[in-house]
Amino acid sequence: MIVVSLLFYLFSFIMIASAFMVILSRNPVHSVLFLILCFFNSAGIFLILGAEFLAFILVIVYVGAVAVLFLFVVMMLDVEFKSISSTVISYLPIGLTIGVIVLAELMLVLFTWKRDYSVTDNLSITTDKQYSNTEIIGLVLYTDNILFFQLAGLILLASMIGAIVLTVNHRPSAKRQDINKQVERDAESSIKNIDMKPGSGI
Amino acid sequence: MNLLIFTPVLPEIAITIVSMFLLIIGVFKKNEKTYSTISNLAILSLLVVLFLIFSGSVPKGVSFGGSLITDSFSLYLKTLILTSSIIILIVSNIYLRNINLLKFEYIILVLLSVVGMMIMVSSNDLISLYLSIELQSLPLYVLASIRNKSSKSTESGLKYFVLGALSSCILLYGLSLIYGYTGSIYYNEIASNLSEYDVGILIGVAFTLAGFAFKISAVPFHMWTPDVYEGSPTTVTAFFAVAPKIAALGLIVRILITAMPNLIADWQSILILLSIFSMLLGAFSAIGQRNLKRLLAYSSISHMGFALMGVINGSFDGVRSLSLYMLIYLVMSLALFISIIALKTNDEHIENIEDISGLAKINPVMALIISILLFSLAGIPPLAGFFAKFYVLYAAIDAKLYYLAIFGVLSSVISAFYYLRIIKVMYFEESAISFDPISKRLKTIIYLLTAITLLFFLRPSIFINFAGTASASLFI
Amino acid sequence: MNPIILDYLPILIFIGVAIVVSAALMGSSFILAKSNPDNEKLSTYECGFEPFENARVKFDIRFYLVAILFIIFDLEVAFLFPWAITLGKIGVFGYISMMIFLAVLTVGFVYEWKKGALEWD
Repeated sequence: MIVVSLLFYLFSFIMIASAFMVILSRNPVHSVLFLILCFFNSAGIFLILGAEFLAFILVIVYVGAVAVLFLFVVMMLDVEFKSISSTVISYLPIGLTIGVIVLAELMLVLFTWKRDYSVTDNLSITTDKQYSNTEIIGLVLYTDNILFFQLAGLILLASMIGAIVLTVNHRPSAKRQDINKQVERDAESSIKNIDMKPGSGI
Repeated sequence: MNLLIFTPVLPEIAITIVSMFLLIIGVFKKNEKTYSTISNLAILSLLVVLFLIFSGSVPKGVSFGGSLITDSFSLYLKTLILTSSIIILIVSNIYLRNINLLKFEYIILVLLSVVGMMIMVSSNDLISLYLSIELQSLPLYVLASIRNKSSKSTESGLKYFVLGALSSCILLYGLSLIYGYTGSIYYNEIASNLSEYDVGILIGVAFTLAGFAFKISAVPFHMWTPDVYEGSPTTVTAFFAVAPKIAALGLIVRILITAMPNLIADWQSILILLSIFSMLLGAFSAIGQRNLKRLLAYSSISHMGFALMGVINGSFDGVRSLSLYMLIYLVMSLALFISIIALKTNDEHIENIEDISGLAKINPVMALIISILLFSLAGIPPLAGFFAKFYVLYAAIDAKLYYLAIFGVLSSVISAFYYLRIIKVMYFEESAISFDPISKRLKTIIYLLTAITLLFFLRPSIFINFAGTASASLFI
Repeated sequence: MNPIILDYLPILIFIGVAIVVSAALMGSSFILAKSNPDNEKLSTYECGFEPFENARVKFDIRFYLVAILFIIFDLEVAFLFPWAITLGKIGVFGYISMMIFLAVLTVGFVYEWKKGALEWD
């Protein structure tokens, strides 16, 4: 239908344009904002393909968390804005070479790929109407593919430990609230009567 | 339903549970002894698992619907990985105390990484391959920069992380192409669907191999190695040099032999290039190095080139020679790293080649041991390193790749030069400094590993048969 | 055409209306309002002084830690959605499988809490 193809061209045009802006804009914060725009549009394309779950994960995880992290990193690094643009030229040749190689490979793949229908027909769960695609993922992820699921959990655990080990650095001098201590505290332990003689200090 | 058959992966599950248990203990019990308690418990549980694997009580077979396979080959590699991690944990206990870096998370990260490596060598499909590589490398990135007060350590961790993430991208791209063209993630189905010749699948294989080359630091994907080796704490470097490489090589062998036997002509040419470049660059670049850890980094690159020679032919003899090579490489390089860790001057660990000048006069035993290990790394008969190189060269000649064998011998000769230079420095140069006494536990480990290197030629058949039965399971 | 798209038609219309309204508001003020800038008007005003330094300063690394811990739990939650809607079909096995996953991350959470990663100083 024409509306869908119009939407597709709209989303992909904005996506590619914002992807260009990510690498071209001088201010890294703007780059990150363009990246978010790019994510939103790819979520739109996923929706057109019927992959709802991927679309919303993209918005929740990438826009909601990863892009925010990027913003923090960009701000934390305190990059000198002007110095970035001067290095762009010197990296341009090698970047273009790699880009052209990857593009050529993608083209090769695109034009030689023969879709093998026997493969998709043999899938255990076909993409029929009775299940939405989030359900299809749910049906296999926790039972048939339990190994992958648990490995993902372990990877998350490892990254959590890693992030904490590298960054938690408490100063021993910091004053923290200890509720138990506060509750246990009574007058006897905190007030002390001292006989002061005139003219002397404690 | 064979989903519930998980007895073949009980070792991995056990180590995972132990690591989480120790994590909780460590964070609740904060005192001086926490580190050694946890370290001892971890070593104990790894020893138990190693014993279970060694005694043959772990059943063989596939688990999780064919995603993981436990056969002699993976059990053999798991033995090597567990052995090296046990040794590393014992040494770390002493080394980290010296440099005042007793973080109990170190042990947990090593354990999680070991789980990743064990799943790597067992993985039998593309997703478990990728996830296990990630599980193995994430803790390693953190371990590289665990000394977060030192800028060199942080830098090495960052470099390792950025390049590792890049290599994962490349690997994932390659894997997705392979999946797209064969329609399956399982190795055996990939092998049967690969009959048709396609450009895309070749690109996929090339990208996958490039990603693997990053993991084993084969040239031209080796750039991170010297910096990361230099910046990380030395025990972590020793771990990097051995365990992840064994796991990655095992994974490469399995995917090439069982999933892509039809494409041998294509991946063979890529591997030949990787192998030749690694051997030569490793040999030439090490010549100018003054830092011992950087030198060993280049030496390990060169050794990876040698090890790759074993898989090039895709034959049983080749894989057997590679398995043997990994075992001997583990023994030699661990012994050498631990010797470096053991040598201290006024509580400062040595870093450069000049620091051990005149070692022969002060500590002749250590000087002799280091010389033996260096001779072995250079491949001088009758030490273990000679047999390792001999068998892979034999495999190359067997595959009629004479020029590859010639390059191998050539790089071996070149590398002998810088190994001999260290020996010259130890024996013929004057020393101005003294060395601290070496702790008993380190001495025992060094003597044991050196004894294996030295006495290997008496009964090589034990190890060769061990490697042989392991490799045979790939060719059923 | 994919039927899923039709379900999202209201959202599409909503986005369209939002774009039109915001464009109209911004565009009308751009066209109708008087604008007569000069150098002084455009310069930064900071209590009568020239600005002392750049507004962008280095962030504390702890912000980063909070963000990264958030991502980890965000991903964990992402795994819960498909599980929640298929729980009736995947049975006890699926339930246990998710409990193991949550237990692993709870171990991480206990560690994080006790380690003081959630405390600011």
